[in-house]
Amino acid sequence: MVDVGTTLEIAQASQLGMKALGAGLAVGLTGIGAGVAEMGIGSAAVGATAENRDMFGLALLLTVIPETIVIFGLVVALLLLF
Amino acid sequence: MAGISSGPATYIYACTRMRVRRSMLIPREDYLRMLNMSLPEITRFIGETNYRPEIDELGTSFSGINLVEEALNWNLAKEYQSILDLVPGELKYFTASYLRRWDIQNVVTILRGKLQGVQPGKLKEVLIPAGRLDKVALDRLLTEESPERVVEALKGERFYPVLEKELPRAMETGSFAHLENELYKGYYARLIADATEGIKGGNIFLKYIELEIDTRNIQNLFRLQAGHVREDVRELMIPGGSFSVEELQRLSALEDRDEFIDALKRQVRTTPLLNTLEAIRGKSALHEVEVALTRVQLDQMVRMSKRYPFSILPIVVYLEEKKYEVANLRALARGKEAGLPGERLQGYLVM
Repeated sequence: MVDVGTTLEIAQASQLGMKALGAGLAVGLTGIGAGVAEMGIGSAAVGATAENRDMFGLALLLTVIPETIVIFGLVVALLLLF
Repeated sequence: MAGISSGPATYIYACTRMRVRRSMLIPREDYLRMLNMSLPEITRFIGETNYRPEIDELGTSFSGINLVEEALNWNLAKEYQSILDLVPGELKYFTASYLRRWDIQNVVTILRGKLQGVQPGKLKEVLIPAGRLDKVALDRLLTEESPERVVEALKGERFYPVLEKELPRAMETGSFAHLENELYKGYYARLIADATEGIKGGNIFLKYIELEIDTRNIQNLFRLQAGHVREDVRELMIPGGSFSVEELQRLSALEDRDEFIDALKRQVRTTPLLNTLEAIRGKSALHEVEVALTRVQLDQMVRMSKRYPFSILPIVVYLEEKKYEVANLRALARGKEAGLPGERLQGYLVM
């Protein structure tokens, strides 16, 4: 005979685990996406700054714009966990 | 060299640097302003641009036109060498391959100078150490006493077999024209070989080489047409472009200029070149034809570099445009020195 209490406990634990996994994927995958996007922008930014120092501020700003993707991932992760 | 590899980041880095440098080249408006300036004013003007370190450094040793000439040569060599230092992997290989044309120019200049007994110091002023042969190697060649010894000292270089084969004939006739043609033909053949040996990006480099060869061949055909040369021109044409040497020979046989342009237009597929050929119909001066063809080649290269933004093309576009900037400034300075009016000089500038 199936113990209903134990099954419920397993289901709840599994749900929590899935949430944690989803939160991890949300942050991890967006992090990889931001990294890929920043690779191109960062290379161009370093190149432009090497030729013209005045470009540094703008180059830095453009380089960190893909970080917003990670923030979206983080928000999704927090919503999942809490 | 097939083992060379580098990721996209290095391509993006190098191509961005070239784009920034290209944006700092002298714009058309400044050339138009310089047309109304005197030689000292032009010297001062270029002394406020990227040529400042060279003008300042050489200002104590040279003056007038010599100062401009030397500063331009030094700047071009320095610029090309710095690009060779900063480009990575495959791009370095192709850039070095492209820059070998300066070795040919320097070696032919030294050979001509040696034959005519020009002083090494004077010869050194006109050399541009932008290729594989650096200042030290060129200085060593300058100390050699005869053209034969110069060629002997170049043993091991890619173009040595051509030099060895053609030098006796050049010495006999006293003309290095044939030797120079053969060296450049060998240079283009080598460029094609480098582009087709399987290195990543070689197919894009090959597109540029074909365009360059086509432009040179068309320019040469116009020169031959202007000089009413009716002999076999196959030896004067560069193989490897989109026109075969036989086709070029057939085109050169056409005596009437309009007929020649019509025949050429039938072979050409790109619209900008077709438009330029139509515009050339109304131009009688050879230098105007050459400038128009060079301009259309550069425009075509810029378009290609936008289609392949992270390839060898943005680098080659900058190298070519820099070469023409130096040529323009030299033409301006020399023209002003000779007292030519601005309107006349404008026709010689690639803007």
